[in-house]
Amino acid sequence: MYALVDVHKRYGLRTVALRRLNLEIRTGEFFVLYGPAGAGKSTILNLLAGLTKPTTGDVRRNGQSIVHVPPERRDAAMAFENYALYSHLSVAENLAFPLRAAGLPKAEIETRVNRIAGVLGIPHVLHRRPGFLSGGQRQRVALGRAIIRPADIYLLDEPIGHLDAKLRHRMRAELKALAVEMKATIVFTTTSSKEALALADRIGILNAGRLEQVGTPAELYNAPANTFVASFIGDPPMSFLSVTARPDDMAAALYTADGQRIGTAPASAVGLTGLQVGIRSNAIQMVEPGAAGTLAGRVEVVEHLGHSNIAVISTGKDELQVSTEAEIRLRPGETVGLQIDPAKLHLFSGGAAFADAAPARNVA
Amino acid sequence: MQRKTSIPLEVLRYGAIFLVLGFFVFPIFWMVLTSFKPESAIMVSPPRFLFTPTLDNYYHAIVDKNFFFYIKNTLIISVISTAIVVFIGSLAAYSFARYNVGDGHILFFILSTKMMPAIAVILPYFLIFRDVGKTAVGKALHLGLDQHGALIVSYVMFNLPFAIWLLVSFFQDIPRSLEHSARLDGLSRLQVLRKVTFPLAAPGIAVTAVFTLIFCWNEFLFAYILTRKLASTVTVGVESFFTLQGILWGPVAAAATISVAPMLVFVLVMQRYMVRGLTFGAVRG
Repeated sequence: MYALVDVHKRYGLRTVALRRLNLEIRTGEFFVLYGPAGAGKSTILNLLAGLTKPTTGDVRRNGQSIVHVPPERRDAAMAFENYALYSHLSVAENLAFPLRAAGLPKAEIETRVNRIAGVLGIPHVLHRRPGFLSGGQRQRVALGRAIIRPADIYLLDEPIGHLDAKLRHRMRAELKALAVEMKATIVFTTTSSKEALALADRIGILNAGRLEQVGTPAELYNAPANTFVASFIGDPPMSFLSVTARPDDMAAALYTADGQRIGTAPASAVGLTGLQVGIRSNAIQMVEPGAAGTLAGRVEVVEHLGHSNIAVISTGKDELQVSTEAEIRLRPGETVGLQIDPAKLHLFSGGAAFADAAPARNVA
Repeated sequence: MQRKTSIPLEVLRYGAIFLVLGFFVFPIFWMVLTSFKPESAIMVSPPRFLFTPTLDNYYHAIVDKNFFFYIKNTLIISVISTAIVVFIGSLAAYSFARYNVGDGHILFFILSTKMMPAIAVILPYFLIFRDVGKTAVGKALHLGLDQHGALIVSYVMFNLPFAIWLLVSFFQDIPRSLEHSARLDGLSRLQVLRKVTFPLAAPGIAVTAVFTLIFCWNEFLFAYILTRKLASTVTVGVESFFTLQGILWGPVAAAATISVAPMLVFVLVMQRYMVRGLTFGAVRG
């Protein structure tokens, strides 16, 4: 088990990469670090690899501090985002590099190199230099060099980000299978929500050096801790509507700016400002405009995805993304009615998930 | 690259190439030619291209003047100087490139020492080596006048700044992540230098070695002032053919031909490493 404890990481005087970060990575889990570019994902990998030291805080393995253990003695394997292939060596020599460093016998090295090249679909380029490979091939070599040997932890920095869509899909499946087979601890960074959800046992969402939320894909999808997580997980991202809560029979009812009632909330929500409901695109039904209990909206943009369409619909103040069936033809400018499933609302107060017993500090 | 060009243009192109080539190669050709000429055929007008070749000039240079003695001195001094320059230079350049030692100021200071004209320091050098040569350390390291050590130290001093400066840019081109990757693959800091960084910087190191060696080989001023007889180099040796009876052009040409030959071979061998293409593809493209 690896842990970052109260880690603060600064580059130079001004650039703060990580702020007071606490993170646990369990043995044998596929942990995905997911966040926008510059959020600090690579910094976390470098800390785990021993390539940088935290400004303050501790990095631990099984409870023991490893801050002062140099990278070559950490038993970590890493695939770099910029590939970091040894350009003076052939692909086969690149793949063999960690095995040679470990002093394995020649025959054994050859077997393993051939096996991994087969898995990655690059046996025909083994004799070439990295400079003569395509971006996708280089990325596969980089990934192969990382997973060719047993390691205590695998650190994969966007290892399939530069592959074409079809190959990425295949590599995703391969990686997942490999992870299960190797029972390895893997930390994987990505900027793709799909990759994160498909691969992870647990996901940590990073934003500007802070961990926004850690949890299983289902937890993050169903119970996002704040609007950042909510808008980042799932494709298309969650849409938000500004609402106000007014007292209702037993609890509270949520009304949009146009006075449309769209759902209920606990009584403690009444009087809070900055309330938003988050709605997944599949929780919205498109209906005839003007029907009772529906929102009116104007179609702005329609994206055709083949099996479905994503329509961006403006309700005046907010924009909602709605997925519709492919057969429904929508034209920009058209007015539609929206039926929102009240059971599938996520309520946020001041950007954080609304919790019934939350203290009143969320009041702006 | 396949490109169709018209025949006249092609003729023009090759014509230009031959012109430039002739301009640069002719002096060497003339030197080699002269070295085989009998004395009567050397300083005549019009110049003679057809003559009975003779080895007299080589005999004179090698046997009478013992020219291989100068070659040996030059070889010792140049090779040791170049080895020291490349060794210190690459280590220094690596630390400048990776750790930005001195924030660029030290690097510039080092380069600025190159701006000092050699003639300005030759007298102080002469005095320093004269005195150092009398000390115990100076004696042990052959640092006195007319000794190899003195020239080696001078050549290292004069070549190191440029060598460092040249190498820094080569090291800067090697992505840091390559070294990181090698560390994680299980190599220690020093092993990374040996197995990854220096092999990748090989073209730069080759270029530096070529420049330094050629400089040392051709250097005249220091060799002339700091040596008398025992440590004299080829340039000084050739100069000794400028006698009171006149300049012995035939032996001069023969000696020059002999001294150019090793350099030619060396550069041809190094050319293979000087291809920048080696670092191609290290970074994402």
